[in-house]
Amino acid sequence: MTSTTPTLVAAAAALNASKIYGKDDSEVRALDNVTVDFAEGQFTAIMGPSGSGKSTLMHCLAGLDTLTSGKVFVDGTDLSGLNDRELTVLRREQVGFIFQAYNLIPTLTALENITLPLDLGGVDVDQAWLNEVVSAVKMESRLTHRPSELSGGQQQRVAVARALASRPKIIFADEPTGNLDSRSGAEILAFMRHAVSDLGQTIVMVTHDPVAAAYADRVVFLADGKVVDEITSPTSEQVLDRMKKLGS
Amino acid sequence: MSSPVIRLTLRGVLARKFRILLTVFAIVSGVAFVSGAFMLTDSVKTAINSLFEELRGDIALEVRTPIAFGDEATAKRDPVPAALVSGIAAVPGVSSVEVNIIRESTIVKPDGKPLKTSGPAFGISWLGQDGLDGRTILDGREARGPGEVAIDKASAKRAGYVLGDKVTVVGPTGKGEFTLVGLTGTGDTSGGGGASVCAFDPATANTFLGAEGLADSIYVGLEKGASRSTVQKGIATVLTSKYEVIPGEQSAKETAGAINDIIDIFGKLLLGFAAISLFVSAFLIFNTFAIIISQRLRELALLRAIGASSRQIRLMILGEALIIGVIATAFGILGGVGVSKGITALFNATGAAFPSATITISTRTILASLFVGIGVTVTAAMVPALRASKIPPVAAMRPEMGFTALQRSKRLFAGAATLLAAIALLCIGLFVQPGGAIGILGASGLGAILLFLGVASLSTSFAAPMSAAISRILPFPIWPMTRSVAGRLASRNAQRTPRRTATTASALMIGLALVSTVAVIAASVQKSFKDRLQGSVTADYYVTSDGFQGLPPAFAEKLAVLPELGEVSPFRISTAQINGESKQIGAVNVEMGDIVNVKLTSGSFAALGKGQILVHRDPARDLALSVGSSVAVTWQNGTTSNLTVGGVYNDSSIAGNWLVSIDVLSQASTAPPVDFFIGAKIADGVSIETARIAVDKVAEEFPSAQVQDQAEFQKSQEDQLNQLLFIVYCLLIFAIGIAVLGIANTMALSVYERTREFGLLRAVGMSKRHLKRSVRWEAIIVSVFGATLGVAVGVPLGIAVSIALPESFVNGIQIPISTIVVVLLASIVVGIIAAIGPARRAAKLDVLEAISAI
Repeated sequence: MTSTTPTLVAAAAALNASKIYGKDDSEVRALDNVTVDFAEGQFTAIMGPSGSGKSTLMHCLAGLDTLTSGKVFVDGTDLSGLNDRELTVLRREQVGFIFQAYNLIPTLTALENITLPLDLGGVDVDQAWLNEVVSAVKMESRLTHRPSELSGGQQQRVAVARALASRPKIIFADEPTGNLDSRSGAEILAFMRHAVSDLGQTIVMVTHDPVAAAYADRVVFLADGKVVDEITSPTSEQVLDRMKKLGS
Repeated sequence: MSSPVIRLTLRGVLARKFRILLTVFAIVSGVAFVSGAFMLTDSVKTAINSLFEELRGDIALEVRTPIAFGDEATAKRDPVPAALVSGIAAVPGVSSVEVNIIRESTIVKPDGKPLKTSGPAFGISWLGQDGLDGRTILDGREARGPGEVAIDKASAKRAGYVLGDKVTVVGPTGKGEFTLVGLTGTGDTSGGGGASVCAFDPATANTFLGAEGLADSIYVGLEKGASRSTVQKGIATVLTSKYEVIPGEQSAKETAGAINDIIDIFGKLLLGFAAISLFVSAFLIFNTFAIIISQRLRELALLRAIGASSRQIRLMILGEALIIGVIATAFGILGGVGVSKGITALFNATGAAFPSATITISTRTILASLFVGIGVTVTAAMVPALRASKIPPVAAMRPEMGFTALQRSKRLFAGAATLLAAIALLCIGLFVQPGGAIGILGASGLGAILLFLGVASLSTSFAAPMSAAISRILPFPIWPMTRSVAGRLASRNAQRTPRRTATTASALMIGLALVSTVAVIAASVQKSFKDRLQGSVTADYYVTSDGFQGLPPAFAEKLAVLPELGEVSPFRISTAQINGESKQIGAVNVEMGDIVNVKLTSGSFAALGKGQILVHRDPARDLALSVGSSVAVTWQNGTTSNLTVGGVYNDSSIAGNWLVSIDVLSQASTAPPVDFFIGAKIADGVSIETARIAVDKVAEEFPSAQVQDQAEFQKSQEDQLNQLLFIVYCLLIFAIGIAVLGIANTMALSVYERTREFGLLRAVGMSKRHLKRSVRWEAIIVSVFGATLGVAVGVPLGIAVSIALPESFVNGIQIPISTIVVVLLASIVVGIIAAIGPARRAAKLDVLEAISAI
């Protein structure tokens, strides 16, 4: 990381990252030589039209998918050098996830879901931190419920708590409010904002919702697999405006 | 295993109770067969050993004639003179000496019919409760003179006799009438383990049982404090070397051992069927796990995404298999008690001699059941578990990236390679036959397993086109199911998951392949048997015994003097050593040459009259014998006869491989003769009706005799074969039952998986009836596919086995077309049955809920 060394310490970064699906004629460049970094303690939104490569970028940054060429780093570690076992440990200890849907294991209670990454790693639960996280998402009263007994918004709050519980270096959120009504969505975004501002967490969120993006410190725009623009301290109007330009 | 894995495993099992139950059910029957086989053999053996232990009573030593070779328990020994008793009694330390005479004696019921027993029907010489054997008086007293008999209490009760009744008993010398003076028991039981026992005093036994001063053996009791080995030596010195003195428990052990061997064979048969049903179950378990894992794809990927290692996922799936295996084994052992009790009851009902016994569950039974139940389940889940652990974490967000299927070409290659290996092994096992029975069974058994695996693997490749073809010709060509929307959906669904369709069908394939293999072999054996009987049987009458000990020679003698009959000959079987190997030798009269056509290629049947021996061409070829060569025959009592070959014949179906005359046999051995069967021809000019009346009149005196004319004889021989086949088919039905369960399970899982799709179909206007029909038709397609595969595998396999069987068994291939057609039609019914539950479940889905399901 020479030319891209940022002023802030980067929690995650991509360097000349390319991801190509298919071969020859049917070749699709989901990522085309992307270089970007995500500062620690920041809430970043990645935006772009469908097929812009924003989800692929996130999957590769999180160690869920591999690049065709280039490198990705999490907390200074080059992911391309890691094997499956090391990637598993990285995901368990350094990375948190919030998905659009199907975030929770249906057979486990809310609390069991929250502590699952810690349990899987055999790490003792820090009770004080757990209490803080649970109260941050206001789920104290429903910890013994199964996912099927929770509303969509509540399920997403459990997912946020789970992502925070292991104090990862970075949390990746994939359209976390995509399946929620606007009120529940706003709640989730407020929790995430709180996690960054007050608890010092780093979050990277993929979204297509300008309102959601406005909660972030910074918005990175992707189109056709390339970083095309970015805004810091965005408002939803600014974001919407940029998106319209990208669309045209 | 760390705690979250255990928790996830347990929750995973609990969340899928119903499916797990179905899977458990499949493996239970296999485990039940395994544990049942062990329990049955253990408990029957214990019962038999204790029975013989009790019967031994106070017999310290036994005097009998030794045998030169062969099995001590089943040997036909020469008798010992009863006169030896006085010499033995004079030996110091001997307290009492008894003659032992056991001959066939049938009790005639008050209605004139013989009492059927589930064991042998004995007449014995008995001193009473003061004697040496373990029999006791339960009621009345022992028989003390001519005209008196004591009968075991169980038989007397079944026949309907009470003390003081006149009882007719048929013994070796004919009918006799006796007064019932006592009811006997053995130990604390009232019977003799399925046998009937008529006990006479020694003098009556000597005359009525036709012993003529000879005894089967002599029992010796000891004075208190006398040393057995000293007495044994003392007796040996008064006897010539023609006799041996053995400890009393030795002969009891020998007899019990012989029966135990038979029970062991039966146990092995059960284990064989256990193996088949477990093999089929393994497919079902494999399939269930494979489907469950594809349904849990997102859940498993999520676990991977948030930090579960692939090992943890693998352990979780194997843990579920472990739980299933443990539950199934527990139920299986319970089921084993049922299997063991059921088989005992079934066999006692049809007349086999299983003494009543308490079920013994040994540690070995439990260990074997655990090993088999858990082993099969976990092994079957191994591949699905491996696949599950390879699910990429990104599939949590992109389920379409879930599995990377094995390439079609790779699968074809692997399947074809397995198939070729299987065929090679089968050919080696069946035709090269290395290392005798173990080699044949080992190579062809492994070959069969590989054959099924290979076909199962290959069938994935043609599951889709076959399903399409089946749906085009079913239910019948004029109105195939593809004409309706429901039928088209069924067809497409079967085609869209060819792997699942193939695995499900494979379970049925195995069961039906075995059925059609057996069917082809059976048809070929039956046809060969029929052809042979028609060519070789020229007798007008066959007399066989429905008892265990054959016919008394008096019967043949009485038939021979009937003016209505022409040629009459008994057929006796004896054991002898030829060229160092134990052989069965038939003994007949010269008249047999006119009764049975053995198809002589050289020499003449009349040579038997000159004391010569006739040989079948197979042993003649092996030992390079021809007319005029000499054969040394060593009989079981050690006598050797040097016999000249008087003829070589082609047909061994009735005569066996070696034939001598009755005279040769009786000169060599004085063992009490028993006729295996008697053949007779009607005298010239006598009508069939007149002859039959005369024969039946003689037969009345011999209740265990069955007189059959040619047609009846052929039919009864075929019936025996059919009975055996019936048992085999019944057991194979278990395997098919498991396969049906497999289809039901797969369909249920598919319905669950397609909840949304069904909701959509219902929403756009499909009726419940049509939805049910669609599910049913899919099940029918799968089962017809499985049945077709089964027949396609089983018929060639059956032909191969038939070719491999010795020519004396099968000499032509017969394919039972009607059986195969029935099997194929029955598979449609199988599909309908399997679809009942899943179809109902599909129809019950709430439309709105189904649509909103993810």
